[in-house]
Amino acid sequence: AVLKKRLVKLVVNFLFYFRTDEAEPIGALLLEHCRITKEEENVFSISFVEEPERKYCFECDSEEQCQEWIEALKRASYEFMRRSLIFYRNEIQKMTGKDPLEQYGISEEARFQLGTHKQ
Amino acid sequence: MKLNERSVAHYATCDSPADHAGFLRKRVERHHHHAHHHHATSYQRRWFVLKGNLLFYFEERESREPVGLVVLEGCTVELCEAAEEFAFAIRFDDAGARAYVLVADGQAAMEAWVKALSRASFDYMRLVVRELEKQLEEACKSLAACRKSPRRSSSSGRKRHLSNPALLPLQEKPTVLENGYSTWGTGGGVPAGAACTDRDGGHAKPPPLPPRRRLAAGSAAGSPAPSLSPAMPESPVSPETACFSKLHSWYGQEIAALRREWQERQKRGDP
Repeated sequence: AVLKKRLVKLVVNFLFYFRTDEAEPIGALLLEHCRITKEEENVFSISFVEEPERKYCFECDSEEQCQEWIEALKRASYEFMRRSLIFYRNEIQKMTGKDPLEQYGISEEARFQLGTHKQ
Repeated sequence: MKLNERSVAHYATCDSPADHAGFLRKRVERHHHHAHHHHATSYQRRWFVLKGNLLFYFEERESREPVGLVVLEGCTVELCEAAEEFAFAIRFDDAGARAYVLVADGQAAMEAWVKALSRASFDYMRLVVRELEKQLEEACKSLAACRKSPRRSSSSGRKRHLSNPALLPLQEKPTVLENGYSTWGTGGGVPAGAACTDRDGGHAKPPPLPPRRRLAAGSAAGSPAPSLSPAMPESPVSPETACFSKLHSWYGQEIAALRREWQERQKRGDP
């Protein structure tokens, strides 16, 4: 496999990649239902649930940079944030007896319901 | 522009529940070179599915692949003064991006869609999560302070939620994370805060939110309620959103090309 140098940008739940001298991206990866895996030194890969053997590999300049990217990418999906929200909401409710979303008037929103969104 | 379209289609059609779904009529947007011909405005009925910050649309409800995708970042959703009743529009801050004009079946459907779409952005979700994270920390602290001999010490109480394997602690990371190369070529558009990686780690005081959310951040510090009220603040121009408008155009063109090919094959009587 040939490695090509790319400028890589994480924007919300998308990973855009560019040729280093260009302003427009060559491509993007939607980061939902994906797995981020540490490969060999300085390398991580992204693979997707429906095609787990297809790995998008990225080589970093250092192990530190590699870890930074892995951490950022693991948190990058919308679904991850949704799970976090549901978790925090539930914990706060257990501790204080109050639903923290009520004061914002969004407690009935489908997107914030426990049990509606699995995995 | 390449996209992991198989994964995108999978996410769109898998059984993870949608945040909203239904039929809408979508206005057909003519390309600029057709502009000198006067075309009557036409609409196509499509099946729309909202999942997270992504709005997919399908030719039919049972279609196995979406024909389009709209990324709901850096956009506003507003009622439309178009000729059609129950019309609303998704408009982007990026000047070059096309708007989407959609028509619902009735007043209730229109209101439900506008509400669902207005709260769909990743930024909005992140705002709510940060707020709850703060509240949970405060609840843990005050709980620990109240107890003289706790069943669990305050430190392990905190560890319990932070070490939940399904959940990694959220840190204050900027929206854009780069690998250290120079930014986005158009120049001047990216605020310095967004261009640099966060070196402070998760324990530093959260950096001030970038200007686009200053209104919400200001009120979040004092009284949280206004920042999450249904009336969302205007999204200012964000250079990153230009990436998404290219993605939208790509998706539409690719599908249009595939359909032309298919139609030609049909005419020729190919199997």
